[in-house]
Amino acid sequence: MNFAVLLPILIPIISGFIVGLSKPAYNRRNTIVISTTIINLFLVVYIVLFKNNTLFHMVKINELLNLYLMPDNIGKTFAILVSALWIFTTFYSIDYMGKGDGLNKFFMFYLITEGVTLGIAFSGNLITLYLFYELLTLSTFPLVIEKGSEEALRAGKKYLIYSFFGATMVLFGIILLFSQTQNLSFVPGGVVGILVYDNKNLYLMVYLLLFLGFGVKAALVPFHSWLPSAMVAPTPVSALLHAVAVVKSGIFALGRMTYFVLGWRVIDFTGGNRYTLILVLLTILMGSFLAIHQENLKRRLAYSTISQLGYVMLALVIFEDSAYVGGFLHMLFHATVKITLFFCVGAIMHYEKKTELSEIAGIGKRMPKTMISFSVASFCLIGIPPTNGFVSKWFLAIGGLDQGNYLIPIILLLSAFFTAAYLIPVISTAFFKGDPSKEVEVSEPKNFMLVPIILLAAINIILGFFPNWLINTIQATANKLF
Amino acid sequence: MTNYIPIINILILILFSFVMMLFKDKKKIKYISIGSNLVVFLLSIFLMVYSISREVITLSIGNPNNLLGIEFYIGKSESVVTLVFTFVMLMILWFSNFALEKEVPENRISFFYVLINILLASLLGVIYSNDLFNSYVFIEVSTLSACGIIILKDKKENIKATVKYLIMSTIGSGLVLMAIAYIYSITGHLNISLIHETIVGNYQYHENAVLIILGLFTIGLGIKSAVFPLHSWLPDAHSSAPTPASAALSALVIKVYVFMLMKVLFRMFNYEIVNSFIIMDIILLLGSMGMIFGSIMAIMQKELKRMVAYSSVAQMGYIVFGIGLGTVTGTAIAIYHIIGHAVTKSSLFLISGLFIEKTGSKKIEDLKGIGREMPLTLGLFTLGAFSMVGIPILPGFISKWYLSLTCIEVGRVPLILIILASSLLNVLYYFPIVINGYFGNDNLDGKVYNSKKVEFIRILPIVLLVLAMMIIGGISFNLIELFNI
Repeated sequence: MNFAVLLPILIPIISGFIVGLSKPAYNRRNTIVISTTIINLFLVVYIVLFKNNTLFHMVKINELLNLYLMPDNIGKTFAILVSALWIFTTFYSIDYMGKGDGLNKFFMFYLITEGVTLGIAFSGNLITLYLFYELLTLSTFPLVIEKGSEEALRAGKKYLIYSFFGATMVLFGIILLFSQTQNLSFVPGGVVGILVYDNKNLYLMVYLLLFLGFGVKAALVPFHSWLPSAMVAPTPVSALLHAVAVVKSGIFALGRMTYFVLGWRVIDFTGGNRYTLILVLLTILMGSFLAIHQENLKRRLAYSTISQLGYVMLALVIFEDSAYVGGFLHMLFHATVKITLFFCVGAIMHYEKKTELSEIAGIGKRMPKTMISFSVASFCLIGIPPTNGFVSKWFLAIGGLDQGNYLIPIILLLSAFFTAAYLIPVISTAFFKGDPSKEVEVSEPKNFMLVPIILLAAINIILGFFPNWLINTIQATANKLF
Repeated sequence: MTNYIPIINILILILFSFVMMLFKDKKKIKYISIGSNLVVFLLSIFLMVYSISREVITLSIGNPNNLLGIEFYIGKSESVVTLVFTFVMLMILWFSNFALEKEVPENRISFFYVLINILLASLLGVIYSNDLFNSYVFIEVSTLSACGIIILKDKKENIKATVKYLIMSTIGSGLVLMAIAYIYSITGHLNISLIHETIVGNYQYHENAVLIILGLFTIGLGIKSAVFPLHSWLPDAHSSAPTPASAALSALVIKVYVFMLMKVLFRMFNYEIVNSFIIMDIILLLGSMGMIFGSIMAIMQKELKRMVAYSSVAQMGYIVFGIGLGTVTGTAIAIYHIIGHAVTKSSLFLISGLFIEKTGSKKIEDLKGIGREMPLTLGLFTLGAFSMVGIPILPGFISKWYLSLTCIEVGRVPLILIILASSLLNVLYYFPIVINGYFGNDNLDGKVYNSKKVEFIRILPIVLLVLAMMIIGGISFNLIELFNI
């Protein structure tokens, strides 16, 4: 029954095509979309529990085009994250997108994207991952330009060009790598091994090409500018793009490349991480610095994502096991936190038609539950103990110190300060600005929107108090790698 | 008996083209044409199966050791290329059965079928021939019949394009003829295998002559196959011709001359000899330039068919690039790209023809929102575009991948950048059509879903071509192993 591994990828894609081609009515479509995502979560859980390192060959044409799936611990964690957050987003977007025409196409690509993202999670070698990575660009593109306006098309083109540019660099790297190793499968510790002594500079080039190429999707500075532009997408899409689908796929691919294909010892030997560390630190600082200056709430969150992804990428350039644990935790925590923040901002946009910081004065009284969830998520992101953000940043800082690099904790603290500087004003404007004596009628979003928001906020808190089982799981993988 | 299939193929096509002229009824002509091509296609399947199990089929006509030494030589690559070419031609004929009346005047339609038969016969002749005399005759026949199917439309631009093509082509033939004369004067043979035996031993004594011969063959056949700076006739000719003719020209005709060039370089001489001359570097340079500039010029085009035609120039660049690498794998990939591009480009041209017919406009900008009106057709176009761009498993990706690996093998890593840059440029001209076709409110306003639907029987040949493209991508590894010159 190895075939089961393929199901979570296949089912959303098939039901996506069913939605797209049969054009069901509103209620029927919702039933299909909701049941698909829920069934998919169960399938993923089944695979996580019962399928240990099962290989499933999809196509084998030759040594190179040998596409297979192999869910390991990291892939499974990512898959759980994806399929769980997709359910929340489904409910949210049913309310957010409304009942307009042409939404069948939206939900078609929405479901296909889930399948493709799970494909990235379960890929067993670099070429399979690359295939799904290209498909991800193509399947998310229609979501980004859902509005169909001139601006949306322009943003979409930018997204496509950046993504294909990145994918091309990746392909170049893969070609060079394959010509040396003849093997692209994921092995803890990498497939290169002692081959690196033959041709150090070539491997340095491969590493830089792959890092920069995958870095485009992970919004690495200087390839980040597609991400704020892509904010023209509907909020659920932005939330997904930021939390799980696109940027996290970029990070996930980077992680695969660093620890499972090249291997960190090889990278350390070539010294490539010294160059990428600079870019990563720059990403952390620049993202948060730019976020402070954004008036538009969604753009503010977009730049914040860039900075937070920098934290995650730190784990990929400092080769320490605590940094690895911290980075991986931050990837998961940032997903749940950022999706909450986006959902709150989206609720304000949808019900109050307000998008700028100055407009939301006093909105805390009108939508108290939403804004309290927003505040909870903000505190998590800033990293105030005992929230989850604190846990992950703590591990990252320890990792930096273990390596004797005192710059890293300093930059982390500085950026935490900036994070506060761009999130606290939102909270204070919402709760404390505006006329205090004015009576405001409470008007929360509908349940389809509100329940996911509150649940996600609760998950953030729970993860902050009980991170240990997650830490232990990740530590187990880290022990294999280091 | 199977040994005679090649000559039977050619004879069937030519004989039936004469038979067609006896009839006045267009329906009968169509039946004869499709029937004769179907027979040739079936025979080609048989030929391929036969030749894959054996090494090489040779068929001498007359005495092989006499002056002309006319001989057919069918290896595995020849038989696979034949099969793909006859398949593509059959699909084009099926398509033109329903489309030709809309573009070509009533009284010319029977000409088209006559000329197509002669064209295919001469193309197969060039592929099979193992001697320079016979090849030259078939090259001339193919050029003239190709001119014929361009000029069928009888418009001013067609006549202009045809004259341009004819002049350029004649220069090319002249150069090839001169090269043949040189080689004959050195070796005293016209049969490629015999020339090879003679020249391997004593090419050092004729270094300059060999260089001139190689140069003349490269330029002469390069003009005919529209290798980059010699391509100026192609966009006019291919964009003004009737759609089925454009598809045949772009997918098949320009390929056989490059195939002939491979035979000259690697069978008449060999890898060792040609690699010791500067000519391979020049071929590599021409290929690289074609890949980049062909794409850049395609981006600048405003008319759909011109864009697809320039894209052919870029794709010829890939084939020439593969030859220029000067290794066995490079040649195998060049042949693979010939067949991969044949199915892809023919489907793209036929789809462009459908778009132009339904929208009534040649302009790319008038194709906005076409995805709502013709969803299936644009879907097929998208698959073809994906192959051009290089999405994994489709033939375009396979060619690029193996070309890159070969670059590394011969120690020319920077050349990979050219391959990748060219595939990025491909994105820039194919994707806007797909995006503006399917997406964007302004683009889709006022378009009615499926309003310009094409009957399924008309679109089926394109579906089959796209399917063939996927199969060629899927079995790429086995194919590339087969190919050698």
